[in-house]
Amino acid sequence: MKDTSIFRKLLAFIPLAALAASMNAQIYMAKDCEISFFSATPVENIQALNKAAKPILNAGTGDIQVRISIQGFVFPKPLMQEHFNENYLESDKKPTEVNGVKVDYAYAFYRGKINEKVDYTIDGVTKVTVTGKITIHGVEKDKNLEGTVTVKGGQVLLDTKFNLHVADYNIKIPSLVVKNIAEDVEVKMNATLEPYKK
Amino acid sequence: MKNCFLLLFSCVCISSYGQQDLLSMLDSAKPATKEKVFATFKTTKVINAQSTETVKKHTLDFRITHRFGDIGTEGGGSAHDLYGLDNISDYRISFDYGITDNLMIGVGRSKLNENIDGTIKWRFLDQTTDNHSPVSATLYGNAALTPEVQSSLYSGTTDSTYKFSDRLSYVTQIIIARKFSRSFSLEILPTYFHRNYVKALTNPNNNAEDQNDMLALGGALRMKVSKRMAILVDYFHVFSDFRTNNPITPYYDPLAVGIEIETGGHVFHLNFTNASGIIENYFLANTTDSWSKGGMKFGFNISRVFNL
Repeated sequence: MKDTSIFRKLLAFIPLAALAASMNAQIYMAKDCEISFFSATPVENIQALNKAAKPILNAGTGDIQVRISIQGFVFPKPLMQEHFNENYLESDKKPTEVNGVKVDYAYAFYRGKINEKVDYTIDGVTKVTVTGKITIHGVEKDKNLEGTVTVKGGQVLLDTKFNLHVADYNIKIPSLVVKNIAEDVEVKMNATLEPYKK
Repeated sequence: MKNCFLLLFSCVCISSYGQQDLLSMLDSAKPATKEKVFATFKTTKVINAQSTETVKKHTLDFRITHRFGDIGTEGGGSAHDLYGLDNISDYRISFDYGITDNLMIGVGRSKLNENIDGTIKWRFLDQTTDNHSPVSATLYGNAALTPEVQSSLYSGTTDSTYKFSDRLSYVTQIIIARKFSRSFSLEILPTYFHRNYVKALTNPNNNAEDQNDMLALGGALRMKVSKRMAILVDYFHVFSDFRTNNPITPYYDPLAVGIEIETGGHVFHLNFTNASGIIENYFLANTTDSWSKGGMKFGFNISRVFNL
């Protein structure tokens, strides 16, 4: 009986050890990050680039989160940028609470977890899938991503490309310009992350 | 049993750690950024008044501004000229170009006085969302030249010595605006204007002469009523004794009301105003029609931007 007791004690230590390990696990934060989107229609192409986002990765748990400022998207045409913010994403709306959930129109969010085990101590490229949720214009949707994690000289490079269905996010497009804006826009993210120092 | 609790506890610890909000680290990592407040007004002009907006970098704004004739007259309605639509008080064609996002130059030509004007507009302060800067501010200046024949320039006077400089007039304004909410913006426009040449006229009521230099104070507002439509109002008061209770030529403060419709790259304005001129150089000094006596005119304005 005494043996089992020791065994139990040992067993209890495993999660504790895991906890300690995850506490020490490296947090990575983006040094550079480019998020772009592209909408292609026969009438016109719409594209924008955001360099202000800072994705954060917890190497211990695989958690990955990013907050993207909507006003950080820079368009080649300034008027497009104004319309994007004022009429479509409504990024100047005041943050509110709907059923106890905070809604912030000024930002888009992604919160996910990398499903594959990645060894962040060894250089290499790993194809990964991410399970998570995306929030745009106050609307949260399940969104799973595919991409690569590249470990290189202590830095972590994240690359992904995915499509978003505009209508899913309560973004109203007036019938007059419905031909100018694609139903699905392509989003790309390339980020270089470095170990986070407090 | 104790161990079981420990086991459970550490499991809870791990799972809660896994769901930790990594983004909270961002807030501690750097202070919140100050975002500029955008679209205080939709175009560079409200109706008569300039707005704080400038045309953005490498963008050309082509504008056609039109003022029809008086809707009514002191003699009564005027169905014969379709309430002013048969007449043109003034029209102006202009091009404005953004050198940077905050600096704009432009040229325009009006029918009244055949004025050719050059403008420069510099937005030196942007309102920010955190109220670090509660207002936007823009400096506006123009110079207008009237190429009209000398007999028109000096009509009704005995002035006989022609000077080229008599054709010039200037306007300087500081425009201060605040966007109070997503749908309501307000601005004030302290204005100084100078005309090189004024006719020697006197107000017999107070013996005040018309002046070369005058001050005016303007105000303008924009109120959005739907996503792409807004109501516009602007008003100027001109400080001039000569223009107060003048029995020979009554003068009035220019007041304009209108609606604004935005469709992609175009902005349309439909408005009513008692000012016959479109540029400040004319309407601040020469608004002699009154709203109460049918002197308001229908007008429109089309703005189209091109990215060069």
